[in-house]
Amino acid sequence: MDFVQFLPPLLRGAGLTLVIVVAAGVLGSLIGIVLGTAKASPSWIARAISSIYVNFLRGVPILIILLFAYFALPLILPSLTFSRGFTAVMGLSVYAGAYIAEIVRGSIQAVPKGQSEAAEALGMHYFMRLRYVISPQAMKIAVPPGIGFLIALVKASSLVSVIGFVDLTRAGRIVTTINQQPLLTFLIVGALYFAISYPISLLGRWYERKLA
Amino acid sequence: MIITVEGLHKSFGKLEVLKGIDCEVAEGEVLCVIGPSGSGKSTFLRCLNFLESFKEGQVTIGGHNLTGAKTNLNAVRKDVGMVFQSFTLFPHMKVIDNIMLAPMKVGRVSRDDARARGMALLDKVGLTNKADVFPSTLSGGQMQRVAIARALAMEPTVMLFDEPTSALDPETVGDVLDVMKKLAQEGMTMVVVTHEMGFAREVADRVLFMDDGLIVEQGTPADIFDSPQQVRTQSFLKKVL
Repeated sequence: MDFVQFLPPLLRGAGLTLVIVVAAGVLGSLIGIVLGTAKASPSWIARAISSIYVNFLRGVPILIILLFAYFALPLILPSLTFSRGFTAVMGLSVYAGAYIAEIVRGSIQAVPKGQSEAAEALGMHYFMRLRYVISPQAMKIAVPPGIGFLIALVKASSLVSVIGFVDLTRAGRIVTTINQQPLLTFLIVGALYFAISYPISLLGRWYERKLA
Repeated sequence: MIITVEGLHKSFGKLEVLKGIDCEVAEGEVLCVIGPSGSGKSTFLRCLNFLESFKEGQVTIGGHNLTGAKTNLNAVRKDVGMVFQSFTLFPHMKVIDNIMLAPMKVGRVSRDDARARGMALLDKVGLTNKADVFPSTLSGGQMQRVAIARALAMEPTVMLFDEPTSALDPETVGDVLDVMKKLAQEGMTMVVVTHEMGFAREVADRVLFMDDGLIVEQGTPADIFDSPQQVRTQSFLKKVL
């Protein structure tokens, strides 16, 4: 059987994986930045709310989050029925948000205390300090773990195949049922995943150099 | 009196670090605080701009009552400049931007005015040629002088110095002390926690010796250095001079 005919569906799967990873990465980062900043703030309410979200979502497997979102939510409220793609992005974003929140919180707290004090001694209030002094320095600290997480997210995204979304993994499995060539197919699938992850690590290295 | 301190007590958890400080500083006066490590000198200084909070006692500085109900701490800090032992310049900003940041954002000064003020201050500390470099390229003494310029940019009425030369190489200590001397001559009210006894003797109007959370002795430099009355003062001076 000529293998070339199986490349388009695999590439389409790779494309969809890329789309959901980028979407979840962006949304997850927004959630994570808000919650991470809240968790590092002096307000105990902000810290408490953020902690509940982060601890809960980091304690549950991503697979359960996805299965719950797709199969259980519609049972709670019929209007909560979403497409596979939407559920996939939603589930991954919510999961990513929890991890990125911890990265953001850690980065903020890793900025030397003297920086915040010097800014405070100059009369800058909390949000001013955060914006002009702390965040620029925290961002630089957050890049290595952030990139590491994004790469992990690419791999975690393969789980969306269990709710039937045709990402790269599911595409690979469908193809093998047809061509009965798991070795070649999954080698290609693995190579495609690598092709998606590797540029992310290169991006990280470039960004770190730029901030230095 | 530009600074009055009454009955200041400060504890960190169960450890009482300041056990009742009473002090006054007149406008234009230079007060040097000396004493062994752990005596509470830095804590005392940091209470003066409420970087350390305190529950017992009263501090009035530059007309602000630090624990007053209506007091805005950010307003206090506009009037009280502070220079830290570890310089703490903002590493992601150029030297001139370090100096301009607070006047522009807190003082709402225009960018041009802030830059003019910043360059004038760099001239005062002798570093105009370093305006557009990043702090990481500077020596410790240069960084500290920039830190002084940064604090002065807010045009404070009082300047607090927390062991400004303790982290510097001996060669660069002199440059920083010269800047501080100049400031004192211009009539700035200064409270300086320091181990530089030579500076204290030469520049201070009054010297405070602190030990174990209390002011043990205070007086003019001549009083303290030449004829210390208390035993603890004498033994401390014997060790450092």
